[in-house]
Amino acid sequence: MKCQNCGKEEANVRYTQIINGVKKEVYLCTECAKELGVDALEMPDFSMNFNSFLGDFFSDYMERDLLPSFHTEAVKCKTCGMTYEDFIKTGMFGCSNCYTTFSAPIETLLKNLQGTTKHIGRKLNSIKEPIKVENTNNKENNKVKEENKLSKLQKELEKAIKEEKYEEAAKIRDEIKNLKDNQ
Amino acid sequence: MNWYLQNGEDSDVVVSSRIRLARNIEGIPFTPKCRKEDLKKVYDLMKEATVSLGYGLKFFDLKDIDTLTKQSLAEKRIISPDFAKNNKPYSAIIINDDENICITINEEDHVKIQVYSSGREIETLMELAIEIDQKLEEIIPYSYSKQYGYLTACPTNIGTGLKASVLVHLPALTMTGNIRKVLNIVNNLGMSIRGVYGENSKIEGCMYQISNTQTLGITENDIVKNLNLITKKVQEQERVARKYLTKSTIDIEDEIYRDYGILSNARKLNEEETIDLLSNIKLGVDLGIVQELNDAKVQELMLYTKPANLQNRVRKSLTLYEQEVERAKVVKEIINAQ
Repeated sequence: MKCQNCGKEEANVRYTQIINGVKKEVYLCTECAKELGVDALEMPDFSMNFNSFLGDFFSDYMERDLLPSFHTEAVKCKTCGMTYEDFIKTGMFGCSNCYTTFSAPIETLLKNLQGTTKHIGRKLNSIKEPIKVENTNNKENNKVKEENKLSKLQKELEKAIKEEKYEEAAKIRDEIKNLKDNQ
Repeated sequence: MNWYLQNGEDSDVVVSSRIRLARNIEGIPFTPKCRKEDLKKVYDLMKEATVSLGYGLKFFDLKDIDTLTKQSLAEKRIISPDFAKNNKPYSAIIINDDENICITINEEDHVKIQVYSSGREIETLMELAIEIDQKLEEIIPYSYSKQYGYLTACPTNIGTGLKASVLVHLPALTMTGNIRKVLNIVNNLGMSIRGVYGENSKIEGCMYQISNTQTLGITENDIVKNLNLITKKVQEQERVARKYLTKSTIDIEDEIYRDYGILSNARKLNEEETIDLLSNIKLGVDLGIVQELNDAKVQELMLYTKPANLQNRVRKSLTLYEQEVERAKVVKEIINAQ
């Protein structure tokens, strides 16, 4: 197909226009497309590489001295020899120890990147902590139990008096007194 | 049948789902900082671990896989195109015959557990990925911190190390000019949606990928839940747009059948053109307009018209021109198959 603009060259740019839901296609040669500025209308690839993006982003900041917390170039990761400046260039840390070495700037970075700095997802099996039963809970549980026992005894006492079993009533009364004294 | 030839839940819109877990091994620098012997350590550890993982997984050094097969894996979106091209030493994959599990070794992170499925299957995939992760965890000491969770080379993956994504086909939203709105909304909801780009930095056949951006400070369950929710919403919008398109029945049928005419009769088809034609034809099949094809054939057409899979199918290395001729033949073959 020939270019629909100049009619001379072979068309190799297809330009699709949708106006009010009506699709219109124009075939142009490279030259005409450039001239008409159509080639620039193609959506650029926004699947930006994080590494280069971060690199550009933070090196801009560094130049302007806006983010002093990122100036930690003097610090080197003891395990892999990485500096924070290296990270800014590549967007990648060198080893797991870097996360400890650069923890201060990382906190800021993660807040910007992830909105938070604390992992709440699945835990590594070997790191799982044993479930601790908290003492305060225990105390409260006991209290509830004792209160239940108390009301039970009081009912028994009433029953014994009603049935005129005074000997039993005296025993229950003593038990209640004991329980109350212990609390 | 392999997942990429199947049709799953809601596959009129959701083509496929993927879960990826990024993991690193404690005591070894991250891959970009690895010396050769570090890479070898990762490679050896994972090679040894392969058997105990099960699932019929096999270990392959990338060097031992021919270029065409590597490229065809990338076309199936099982490995990234960059990883397929790379020739760094000690790069490897662990993969099974179904190709629904693929663990890459020494890519950006030491280990990347990936599982795939057709249609919208995020929950089931998540369970499978965690199962594999737990088995691997028994053998491999992972880099992990209480504060930051699973540690990764790039801080965008830290925490859960989880990227969940779906591939969606949105032709009606594109045709009706509503796609920008949808992209804006989804991107504002903390999810990322972007067009799938081919070699020509043009969105391929109205295909978009939706995935989570946050990996830290969120649970795996919430990531899966959010992705499912957003995918369902996008799917709803696409279906509304499709309903709108079918209001003018003759117009949409005409457009789709014209494309079908070209696809089934051309003697030469280039890749880009085929992708566009197939996008419309998939829409036609999903709308019940194209009676000559079914879902399975569309999946086959989409796969075997890609350069490497085309050449693998005919077991020949072809020039670009030969590919165009062969592509037209393969298309006819698939359409006419009983």
